[in-house]
Amino acid sequence: MRSRALAGGVVASAAVLTLGWQIGAAQVSALNAASPVTNSAGSGSTSSGSATTAPSPSASSSSGSSSSGSSSESSSGSSSSGSSGSSGLSGSSSSASVSGTFDGATTQTQFGPVQVEIVVSSGKITDVKALQLTNDGGRSVQISNQAAPILRSEALTAQSASIQSVSGATYTSQGYMTSLQSAIDQAGL
Amino acid sequence: MTTTVESHPRATLRPPPAQQVAADAAVRRRNRRRRSAVVDLLTILVWVSAAIAVALYLASPGAHDLSGTAGIVTSLGIVAGLVATDLVLIMLVLAARVPLIDRVFGQDRAIAVHRSLGKPVLYLILVHGLLITIGYGLADGSSPIGETISLFTTVDDMPLAYLGLGLFITVVVTSLVAIRRKLPYEAWHAIHLLSYAAVAVALPHQLSVGSAFADGTWQRVYWVTLYVVVLAAVVVYRFALPILLSYRHRILVREVETIAPGVVSIHLSGRNLDRLGVEGGQYGIWRFWTAKTWWHAHPVSFSAVPGTDSARITVRDLGAGSRRLGRIRPGARVSLEGPYGLFTARARTAPYLAMVASGIGITPVRSMLEDATLRPGEATVLLRGSDADQQYLWAEVGALAHRSGSELFAMVGPRPSGVDAWQSADDFRRGVTLGSTFPHLMESDLYICGPQVWADLVARDARRAGVPEHQIHQERFES
Amino acid sequence: MSVHVFDTMGTVVSLRTPAGPLDDAALESIEDVFRSFDRRFSLYDERSPLSRIARGDLALTAADAVVRETYALALDWRTRTDGAFTPHRPDGVVDLSGVVKALAMHDAGTELDRHSPDWLLTVGGDVLGRGSTDGSAWRVGVVDPDARDRLLGTATLSGTRRALATSGVAERGQHIWRRGPETFVQVTVAADDVVTADVIATAITAGDLEDLDRLTASADVDVVAVLADGTLRATPGARAWVGR
Repeated sequence: MRSRALAGGVVASAAVLTLGWQIGAAQVSALNAASPVTNSAGSGSTSSGSATTAPSPSASSSSGSSSSGSSSESSSGSSSSGSSGSSGLSGSSSSASVSGTFDGATTQTQFGPVQVEIVVSSGKITDVKALQLTNDGGRSVQISNQAAPILRSEALTAQSASIQSVSGATYTSQGYMTSLQSAIDQAGL
Repeated sequence: MTTTVESHPRATLRPPPAQQVAADAAVRRRNRRRRSAVVDLLTILVWVSAAIAVALYLASPGAHDLSGTAGIVTSLGIVAGLVATDLVLIMLVLAARVPLIDRVFGQDRAIAVHRSLGKPVLYLILVHGLLITIGYGLADGSSPIGETISLFTTVDDMPLAYLGLGLFITVVVTSLVAIRRKLPYEAWHAIHLLSYAAVAVALPHQLSVGSAFADGTWQRVYWVTLYVVVLAAVVVYRFALPILLSYRHRILVREVETIAPGVVSIHLSGRNLDRLGVEGGQYGIWRFWTAKTWWHAHPVSFSAVPGTDSARITVRDLGAGSRRLGRIRPGARVSLEGPYGLFTARARTAPYLAMVASGIGITPVRSMLEDATLRPGEATVLLRGSDADQQYLWAEVGALAHRSGSELFAMVGPRPSGVDAWQSADDFRRGVTLGSTFPHLMESDLYICGPQVWADLVARDARRAGVPEHQIHQERFES
Repeated sequence: MSVHVFDTMGTVVSLRTPAGPLDDAALESIEDVFRSFDRRFSLYDERSPLSRIARGDLALTAADAVVRETYALALDWRTRTDGAFTPHRPDGVVDLSGVVKALAMHDAGTELDRHSPDWLLTVGGDVLGRGSTDGSAWRVGVVDPDARDRLLGTATLSGTRRALATSGVAERGQHIWRRGPETFVQVTVAADDVVTADVIATAITAGDLEDLDRLTASADVDVVAVLADGTLRATPGARAWVGR
């Protein structure tokens, strides 16, 4: 009789474990299927999506901070397919009219699921916030200072910026000759 | 000391009609199958509950994103913690005196399982703490000690979790046989009650720190429900029902009677005691509300089946606490948890009944003999005592045996030295065995009650003789 | 605006003072700070104590107090960055160039404070400033690693955020040794002091995204990082530099 209990226990346990694993795997793949991070409003040059298809501003800046389990986190934003904010946001973009708060898809990090929320004002990203959905361990890193992906603005020419110095990778005395620093030093800016 | 094997004239009464024997046997077989099916089901439930605990974690996305050694180590730590907690809750259930468990499994065996889980659970908890600290440390690049300090100081609910760990260690260590023996029962018991606190303070960190139980997940709902169900079982069966029972039956001490050196029968009065539902062979956990005895509960067998307004228990002074019972004055209030125990006719599986009792172990045998419906020749009783002082209640058992047409043997004298034997030295030398004492041993349920070492020897001999395991019934009393 | 430029430590120092040039004695004392660091720590000058340590002629423990303190400070940073920053080359040679430039700037800054309320010091891509120019904060361009003549954006040095350091692989100094495959092309860090900015920039450049998150979480810094795939990451405090 003991062997019956043992066999039953083992089989049932295996079934339960498999089920648990499946549920977890299904959730993870659902999370991954949703596009990973922010950049919503860009009619970036690489993404074919036109600005007119950009999502309307969601009224929900109240992204579900308690919904780590459910898999449909990709609420409103994230129309562009860019994976990590690589598409350029051109200043003259026709998406200038887009404003609002957009929530990115949930991404799994070692600190638990994290969702990125961006605030767009007239087509420009004015703020990026990382919302931590669960607190894995009270071990929340101060995620508020996390370096989040950000779109690159159009590179400035040195002339167009009023600057007094340049920060760049270390250069040698020879490197200085051809550096921007050298130019602005000579200009006496 | 002379040894006597009192051969009452062998009860060659009319053998029972074969039909009836067969019918009884069929009923017992069915009961046994039902019991063992429930036991198996409960066992499977234990397995499944542990598996669910692990599955809760597997079902959270965190388990699918293991980055490197740190992630794996942390995951193993989490799994250890979940299984440990599940087992702790099972331990609480096993100790909660749930009627179903007592009926199919026996509270004494439940406690034995409870006890056997203690050390493994502690190891799991230690492994949990260790692996998680190492895992977090690896992820953060800090040493386990540094990580412990930072967990302790910066993470909410972790100080409580460490408190829980400390309590668990204390509870388990004080329950190790070697240490428990040195502690007064009362001290041990007081410490043991801390396990409720340990379970309680461990919960917050599971909910806030553990990623498997994030706010709003079904995992969290399940886990909290599990806690609630277990604690409810404890509160209801362990505390509420006994209080209700005691209040309803108003049990008082009527008389304390010394029936042998160090052995007292306590006569009790009360209301509707027959409705306690005591079966012969069961015991209760008694608490006598006098200044010197109220804090110690004693498991004591009913030495007679209760009547409407009276009951009797018989107790031997095994410790300081039970010695004080001899001095209780009539009129003291008594509270009762129980009745418990599977040392009853309900547990029978075979056509014949064999009972062996030694010393104070006679009490359940006596009440069982009183309660059972027996055909003449069905039961055989062997009473065992090391000297004449241990022959208390023998006369009563003799009368009951006579009335039911059962055979009675008595065996008096110390056990042989140098040999592991349950018989008296003389009878051992003469070759008296279970087989020679009980005419239908292989078709008998063998009920053994007496000092643990002695009872184990009887059971050993029965197994060697080939008595199937399910026909051997033993009540373990050392709670 | 007065600009004073001089060569030291294998690179070029640019010093700006809006209120006109400092007197010669002051300039001399500033240059002295760099020269004395160069004497001790240069690996190009084979007579420097650090060159002798590298060759094994001089025990580190026998070096002078400044060298030992510098080494201790570098070790401290190795601990604080979980090894992302290290004062050793993979071949084991003690290499303090990762902190020496910043330390020299720090000391020079202390010296400058005695002579002028407003100044900006740029040394081989690291910047330390105080005060303002014509009433507005010092503005520092961050070089685009893909096009050295263009800027990624502009940082301002204001309030206590006085230092900016950039570390990169484009013109890799030998003080950056990678721990794994390249994640970052260039990392610019603003901090209250130049040593922190320089060390964190070096540490992140040598590390990966996890190091980035950990270091931005544990140190009081603003960071703009350019990844090998060309994408940008910025902490909240640094977004204004590039997000325009």
